[in-house]
Amino acid sequence: MAYASVIGSSAVIRGNVRGDSSLEILGRVEGDVGVTGDLALGREAVVLGAISGARILIGGSVQGDVTGTEAVLIAETGRVVGDLSAPRIGMSEGAMVRGSVRTDGNTGAPASPRGSAQRERAAEVRPAAAPAERSASERSAPERNAPERNPSERNAPRAQVHQASAQRPASSAAGVQMAASPKPAFKKQPPPPVITAPRPGARARKKLSRR
Amino acid sequence: MAGSVVGAGLIVEGEFTSDEEVIVDGTVRGTLTTGEAISVGGEGVVEADLQASSVTVAGQVTGNVNASARVDIQAGGRLIGDVKASRLTIADGASFRGNVDMDV
Repeated sequence: MAYASVIGSSAVIRGNVRGDSSLEILGRVEGDVGVTGDLALGREAVVLGAISGARILIGGSVQGDVTGTEAVLIAETGRVVGDLSAPRIGMSEGAMVRGSVRTDGNTGAPASPRGSAQRERAAEVRPAAAPAERSASERSAPERNAPERNPSERNAPRAQVHQASAQRPASSAAGVQMAASPKPAFKKQPPPPVITAPRPGARARKKLSRR
Repeated sequence: MAGSVVGAGLIVEGEFTSDEEVIVDGTVRGTLTTGEAISVGGEGVVEADLQASSVTVAGQVTGNVNASARVDIQAGGRLIGDVKASRLTIADGASFRGNVDMDV
């Protein structure tokens, strides 16, 4: 067999497995697995813990972060609840993954701590919400130029915001909140357009009165 | 089925249980339990209590060994710990320190 070490299908390990070896897991490991060689999880394999290796092939189930220094490949029977990071990541149709995915070269450290994974996740949410925020401020610009005309017209842009956010289900509640929250701020400070709007009219009236 | 192989360079720490044969050429710390044979290879290091049907030691074992069938300490093998088994062989050149209980 290609793998120097094998954890058999009937084997259960409660503890950690690590070292400079390639490893095939067919059984169950309740703990972290970190090897410098290749790592394979068979169809029936279960790992409750973070795993790291050079090339990782997952045919079984993992509950923990997966860090491959070369690649992570998830077979159609694979199941991962945790973050994936490797320079190359492959997923077959039917594979199930819940967690953030990063294809970086910067994965030298095996089994990154949970805290950094959460920071990465937070960083990924932000760019998704930003477009919604920007589009909301763009949309409110015409609203500022023509204020307090018609109550029905004022409500119209708000309906657009809801439609836009409904079309983008991935951005979820965060996107909706970001789009809706700037509105009261703009309503509080409409003076510049209100002042500028009557000026041309007043000058025109003066010109007319001179003639 | 080949069972489990803890290859050279691999370290298993904790509670290791299996129903199949376990071959140790790497390191096992904690406990190792199987219904079949345990074989500790020449480069194998076990710092664990072992329970199996039979145990073959060619490497280093530190811990108590409980075998339902037999324990064989081969030449070059080193066992420090108590042995409980109905049959025990110690090859010429093997080292062993511990109590033996063959009254299973």
